[in-house]
Amino acid sequence: MSQILGLAILFLLLNLVAGLWRVARGPTGADRMLAALLFGSTTVAVLLIMAEWMAMPALRSVALLFVMLASIVTIAFFGLPTGDDER
Amino acid sequence: MVISVLIDFLLAAGMVVLALQVVSDKAVLRSIILFVVFGLVMALAWTRLHAPDLALAEAAIGAGVTGALMMMAWRRLLIINPERPADTPLGRSRLAVPVALLSAVLVATIGLTALDVESPTHTAGQVAAEEMTATGLGNPVTGVLLLFRNLDTLLEMAVLLIALLGARAISPPASPEEAAVVETGTPLVGALLAILVPLSILIATHLLLAGTHEPGGAFQAGAVLAAGGVALILSARLKPGERPGIVMQLGVTVGLIAFVAIGVGIMALGETLLVLPGTWAVYLIETAMMVSIGLTLALLFAGAPALVGRRG
Repeated sequence: MSQILGLAILFLLLNLVAGLWRVARGPTGADRMLAALLFGSTTVAVLLIMAEWMAMPALRSVALLFVMLASIVTIAFFGLPTGDDER
Repeated sequence: MVISVLIDFLLAAGMVVLALQVVSDKAVLRSIILFVVFGLVMALAWTRLHAPDLALAEAAIGAGVTGALMMMAWRRLLIINPERPADTPLGRSRLAVPVALLSAVLVATIGLTALDVESPTHTAGQVAAEEMTATGLGNPVTGVLLLFRNLDTLLEMAVLLIALLGARAISPPASPEEAAVVETGTPLVGALLAILVPLSILIATHLLLAGTHEPGGAFQAGAVLAAGGVALILSARLKPGERPGIVMQLGVTVGLIAFVAIGVGIMALGETLLVLPGTWAVYLIETAMMVSIGLTLALLFAGAPALVGRRG
């Protein structure tokens, strides 16, 4: 079981690496922001599996915070000037 | 075994790559977003180091305050100079390579020296861990912060207050329009806030109460409260005010006041300075600290001496 959980975490982390490509390429700021939000969701998944894998229930609180606070960066991003690309 | 090594390697390599990207990227917005992502990976790294308290703090401050703060700072830069001065890359200083090499030598020297040092058999950490059962606190981090090293924590609260005063001294007052990015009439924002703000108060209270027996505590709880405040400021529900009223002044200082009052007041009973009389004192001080930390962070975010509610 522990093996499977570890493999799941590894898979999710590799997803993060793949998602970095989208953050780097863009092309618009909104694409990068959406990729970052996807990272947030994936991190929450990793944290929830880690809570089980490392037997640290407190990690669920960390996951809870990320879920709750992801919207704040989005609101802040909303106010930024939009455009084709910020180079 | 192999899997955990692979996970740790991915996290460590990811942090180095992200950190390099954050400081070297020419596009400011991309740097900011990468910094937010760096915060996520950092929280995972703290988790792997068995430090859930730090992961909580990273989550609360990184996701709730700093990302939004940097985006606001960039927005203000654009308002000041629409020519995007921040995007013009500075040439690399001639000192960059020598300084980097010297730092590398320093780190390598310290690292190699540390390898030779025998690990001490009797450390303060061990003593603290042994005494922890006598304190009635289940979370060793809270025990160290509030009981064993509480002078440090007290001074940290003072530093936070000084940071606020310093920021107020050098920054011009922000106009009420500058802090908000979302007009009050924007659809869905009201519904989001109706969930987010009560939830932030609820979770802050949970973290505060949990802090005595599991990871959590005043700093994390305060940061979560501040995140709720940041959401209200961004959506123009709270606006920067000119003059702090008595409530605002009391809120910013109540952590320090409660800590000093109990820590010094205990001397009247013949105890030593800052020896807290029991778990109730820990709860009381933590609650006061949470209020001060949350309010101070929100005020620093707004760049204003006070916050006032939207009229009407």
